Amino acid sequence: MVNPAAPHKLKVRYNKREVLTAILFLVPTMVILLGFSYYPAFEAIKGSFFEWDGFNDPEWVGFENYVKLFSDPVFQISLKNVLKWSAGSIVIQLVAPLIGALLIFNLKSRRAQYWYRVIFVLPMVVPSIVTIQIWTFIYEPTIGLLNNLLKALNAEFLVRNWLGESALVIPSLIFIGFPWISGLNLLIYYAGLQDISTDVLEYAELDGCVGWKRVTKIELPLILGQVKLLLILALVGTLQNVTVPLLMTNGGPGYDSYVPGLYMYFQAFRLGNYGMANTIATVMFVIIMTLTIISTRMKSKLS
Amino acid sequence: MQATRKKRKLLHNPVLHIILIILVFFTFYPLFFTVMTSFKDNEQFYANFWALPNPVIWKNYADAFSSIMPYLGNSLIISFFSILGILLTTSLSAYTFARLRFPGKEIVFLFVLALLMIPSLLQLIPQFILLRDLRLLNSYFGVILGYLAGKQAFSIFIIRSFFESQPEELFEAARIDGCNEVQAYARIALPLIKPILGTVAIMSLLDIWNDYLWPLIVTSDPSKFTIALGLMRYKSSFTGTVLYGPLFAGYVVTALPLIVLFLCLMNSFIEGLTAGAVKA
Repeated sequence: MVNPAAPHKLKVRYNKREVLTAILFLVPTMVILLGFSYYPAFEAIKGSFFEWDGFNDPEWVGFENYVKLFSDPVFQISLKNVLKWSAGSIVIQLVAPLIGALLIFNLKSRRAQYWYRVIFVLPMVVPSIVTIQIWTFIYEPTIGLLNNLLKALNAEFLVRNWLGESALVIPSLIFIGFPWISGLNLLIYYAGLQDISTDVLEYAELDGCVGWKRVTKIELPLILGQVKLLLILALVGTLQNVTVPLLMTNGGPGYDSYVPGLYMYFQAFRLGNYGMANTIATVMFVIIMTLTIISTRMKSKLS
Repeated sequence: MQATRKKRKLLHNPVLHIILIILVFFTFYPLFFTVMTSFKDNEQFYANFWALPNPVIWKNYADAFSSIMPYLGNSLIISFFSILGILLTTSLSAYTFARLRFPGKEIVFLFVLALLMIPSLLQLIPQFILLRDLRLLNSYFGVILGYLAGKQAFSIFIIRSFFESQPEELFEAARIDGCNEVQAYARIALPLIKPILGTVAIMSLLDIWNDYLWPLIVTSDPSKFTIALGLMRYKSSFTGTVLYGPLFAGYVVTALPLIVLFLCLMNSFIEGLTAGAVKA
C-alpha cells in the first residue's frame, strides 16, 4: 500500500542478518506447531488404521476401523444427530445476531447504538460452563424454569421432560441460548455494516432504495464476507461439539443426543478404543474440512 | 461524520427500540434469575420461585467462594501464562511474516495458516497420549501447551495484518538510526499494535476460561482443576439435597473475573472488534 513492491521482486538477494533473525523469531512457533499440532494430527490419521488400547503395541488393521465405523448404528445415529443439530443451530447463530445488528445499525442515535452493543456484548462474560448449567436448570423437569413458567401460565399440558424425550432433545439443545444474540457475532456483523460507506447508502437512497430494499439489496450483499466467516466458525464449532451433550444429556435419552465428538470421547476415554476414536476424529476432520472449503468458495457463486 | 444522516428508516425508531428491549429482556432474564437465586436459601427457592430474595443470604457466596477459590486460582495461572506465551510467540512470528525477508516465506506462512483448517478434535487424543508419555498430565504446563498450540494460527493471522499496515519508512528510519531487527520489533513495531494484542488476549482468555474438554482430559487431580472442572465438582459435591443458593452463587463467582475485566476493558474490547480486528 505504502511501498509498491516492485523493487522487491527484482532483488532476490537476502540479507544474512535478516534471515537469521527470521529463523530465530520463528523457532518458538515452529517448535510448538510441529510438536503439538502437526505431529498429533498426523498421529491421529495414522492411528485410525490401528487397533490400540492405549498401552500395548498398536496392531495394524488397515481400513477395518472405517468399515466397522460406517456399519456401526450408533455412529450413524450420531452423524444424523449432529447434522440436525448443526443445521438448526448454524441458521440460528447466523440469523439472530444479524437481525440484532441490523436493528441496532438502523437506530437514529449513535449513543443508543453504542449502548445496545455494550448490552449485547455483556453476556460474553458468562462462561459457557455456566450457560450450560443455567440451561440444564431451565430444562429440569420438576423444578426447572421452563416448566415452572408453563405452570404459572396455566399451560401445564405443555410441561415436558425437555432433555429426556427422544423427539425433543435435539430441538431443546438447539434452543439453548435463546434469543441467540451472540455478542461476538453481533459485533462482527456491526463492524461489517459500519464499513459500508455512507456514499453507497446515500446514492442508494437517491435511487429510492430504502427500508427493506436497502437491507436486502445493499446491506446484506455487502456483509456477505462476515456471513461467510461466521458460517465457517459456526460449522467448525457445532460439528465438534462434545461438552454440551456430555454435560447436559450424556448422549441420552438412549442414543438420541449422541454426536460424533461425544462418541469419540467415549470410545477413547471410557472404552479405551483409541484406534476407533482416532478413526472417528479422522472422519470428522474430512467432513469439517470439506464443508469449510465449500463455504469459502460459496461467495463467488452467490455474486 | 454521519451526524446529518436523515433517512427513511427500516422501521420507525420506537419500534426498533421495542424489539431490541424485548430481545434484551430474554437475553438477560436467565442471568437475572441466576443472580436472584444465588441469594436465596432452599426454603425461599421452593416457596418463592419467582420472587426476589428476602432476606438476602450473603453466606451463599462465602460457601461458594471457599469451595471454588482454588480452581479460580488454577484458571488464573493457566490463563495468564497461556496468554503471555501466545502473545510473545505469535507476535514474533507475525512480525517475521509481515516485515522480514527470507527464503521460503510463503510456504512457511501457508504451513501455519493450514492449521486453521484442522479441527482441534482431530488432535485431541494424540495430544493426550503425548502429554501422558511426557508425564505432563496433571500439570499446568500440559494444559498451557494445548492452548499455546491451539491459538497460534488464528493469532498470527490477525496480528500479521496489523504489522503489515505499519509504514516501511518507519523501519528504514530506525535502521538508519542503528536499530537492529530485535529492537525494531520490540521498540517500534510492538508498541504500535498494543490494541490488537489486547483484543487477542481477551479472545484467548474467553476461550481458555470457557474450555471444559481439554482440562477434563489433561487433569484428573482436583488440585489442578480449572474453574470449569471445579464448578462441576462443586455441583456434584451436593449429594442428596442440592442447595440451590450456594450452587448458583458458584455460577456467579465463576464469571466474576471476566465481569471485572469487562468493566475495566469494555471500550477497548468493543472498539477492537468493531474496528475490524476480526474481518472476513
